[in-house]
Amino acid sequence: MTAVAAPVGRRLRRAAPWVWLVPSIAIFVPFFILPMAVVLRNSFNRDDPLALMVEDVTLANYAEILTDPYYLTVFTNSIGVSLGVTLGTLILGYPFAYYLVRYARTSRAFLLWAIYLPLMVSVIVRAFGWIVITADSGLINSTLLALGIIKSPLIMLFELESMVPAMIHRYLPLMALPLINALGRIDENLHSASANLGGGRFYTFRRVVLPLSSPGIIAGSQLVFANVLSDFVIPNLLGSTRFRVLAPVIYEEAAVHVAWATAAALAMVMLVIVVIMLAASNYTFRRLAPWARNL
Amino acid sequence: MSTFREAEERFEARMLAIYVGGVTIFLIAPILLPMVISFSSSARIEFPPPGFSLQWYRAALENELFRRGLWNSLVIAVVCAAISTVAGTAAAIALNHYRFAGRSAVQLLLMLPLALPAVVKGLGIMFVLPSYGMSQGVLATAFAHCILGIPYVAYLVLATLANYDLTLEQASANLGASRITTFRRVTFPLIRPGVTAGGIFAFLMSLDNVSLSLFTAAGDTLPLRLMQHIQHNADPTIAAVSTFLTLAALVIMVLFGRTIRQRQLSGLKER
Repeated sequence: MTAVAAPVGRRLRRAAPWVWLVPSIAIFVPFFILPMAVVLRNSFNRDDPLALMVEDVTLANYAEILTDPYYLTVFTNSIGVSLGVTLGTLILGYPFAYYLVRYARTSRAFLLWAIYLPLMVSVIVRAFGWIVITADSGLINSTLLALGIIKSPLIMLFELESMVPAMIHRYLPLMALPLINALGRIDENLHSASANLGGGRFYTFRRVVLPLSSPGIIAGSQLVFANVLSDFVIPNLLGSTRFRVLAPVIYEEAAVHVAWATAAALAMVMLVIVVIMLAASNYTFRRLAPWARNL
Repeated sequence: MSTFREAEERFEARMLAIYVGGVTIFLIAPILLPMVISFSSSARIEFPPPGFSLQWYRAALENELFRRGLWNSLVIAVVCAAISTVAGTAAAIALNHYRFAGRSAVQLLLMLPLALPAVVKGLGIMFVLPSYGMSQGVLATAFAHCILGIPYVAYLVLATLANYDLTLEQASANLGASRITTFRRVTFPLIRPGVTAGGIFAFLMSLDNVSLSLFTAAGDTLPLRLMQHIQHNADPTIAAVSTFLTLAALVIMVLFGRTIRQRQLSGLKER
C-alpha cells in the first residue's frame, strides 16, 4: 500500500499549503488583485463628458493631474498635512511611550488602556468629539469666552484647526504602539552603563535611547503618514472646503463627477506617493543606521 | 553624586508625568465629551449643556436609517469576521507549516492590503463589481472588508503559531489520529487565542469601516449613515449613538482586551 501511495502522498504534500490558501485566494483575486489591476488600467482610459469612461491608452489623465494647479495644490496639501500630523504624533507619542516604559508603575495599565481606547472607538465618534471641542459654542470657545479671553468665538470647526488635531488624535496610537515596543526592548542597564561612563542624562538619551528606539520611530512614522494621506473621514467631517486633500477629492471625482479615469489616475499617484515614502524612508534609514537591522 | 542623579531623575519623571497627563486627556476627552453632550437638552452642540434630557436617545432609537444601518453593519461584520477567521487561519497555517515555492510572495501579498491606501482599494472594487454581476450593497461590502480582515487574522494567528511545536502534530499522527482529528484536538486549541483575537479584530474593523464601504455599500451602513447625519445636521442624536457605540466598544475591550493585548504585544515582539 505504501509503495503505491508514496508518490500520491508526495504530490498531496506539495499541494497542501495551497489547499490551506484556497479561501484567501478566493477572496484576494476578485476583491484585491483584480481591482488594483483595474485601477491601473482605468487610469489610462479617457473620461467622456457626455458618457461614462471610454477605453483608451493615454497618459492624458496623468498629464492633467500633474500640471493642473488645482490637483497640484491637493497633492501638496495632502503631503503637508501628512508630514505635520506625523510630526505631531511623534511629539505627543514619544514622551508618552518613554514615560510608560521607564517610569509608569501603577499608571502603566491605565496608560496602555488610554492608548488602546481610541483604536476601539468608532472614528465617527471621535470626529464628533472634535466637533464638540471646536464648535462655535463648543468646549474651547465657551471656556475662553467665559474666562473673558476672547470676545467672539474663534472659527476652528471646518478649518485646519479642527482637522489636524483630530487626525493627530486618530493616529496617535499608531505612532505610540511601535514606540512602546521599541523602547520596551532597551536594556535598562544601558542607562547605568552610559552614566557610569560619564554620559549625562541628555547625552544618554541622544546617543543611546534615541538610536535604539529609531526602528519604532520609523515604523510609527510610516504608518501615520500613509494613513493620513488616505484618510477620508476626518477631512470630510472636519476639514475645510478651501483646503482640499486627496482622499475626498478622489471620492468626489469617482462618485460625484463620475470621472473614473481621473479618479483612477489620482489613486495611482496616491499609491506611488505612499510607495516612494516607504522606500525612501527605509533606504535612508538603512544608510544612516545600518546597525539598526540587528535590533 | 548619585543623590544628585536620583534627584535629577525624579525631576525628569515628574515633568514627564505632567506632559503625559496632558496627552492622556487629549486621548480621552474627545471620546468622553460626546457622552456629556448626549444628555443635553439643547439641539445645538453647546458646552456646557444648558439642561438634562434623554430626548436624543429616543431620537436615535426612533431613527429608521440608523436602525437599518446598524442591522446592515452587523450583518456585514459577522459575515466578514466569519470568512476572515477561516481564510486567515488557514493562510497562517499554510505559511507556518510549509516551506513552498512562492511562500514569501504569498506572505507579502497577504499583508499588502494593510499597507495600501483604502481609497485605492475601494475604487478598484467599485470598478469591478459590475463585471461580477454584483451591485453596491451588503454582500459586496462584506467581501471587500475581508481583504482587511484576512491579514489581521493571519497576522495574529501567525504570532500564536510562533511558539507552536510542530512535533505535536507528528506525535498526534503517530498515535493514530487523522489529520482532521489532529487539527480539531491539537492545532486548533493551541492557536485559539490568536483566532479569537483575529475574529474580534476583523469584526470591529468591519463595523467601523468607512473608506471601503464608501465605494462598496449603498450608503446604508451605520458609519455611513452617521457621517451623512453629521454633515446634514450635527445634533446630539449623534452623541447618543456615539455613547452607545463607545460603551459597546468598552464592553468588548473589557471582555476580550486581555487576549487581544497579549496577542498583539507578543506578536509585535516576535517580529
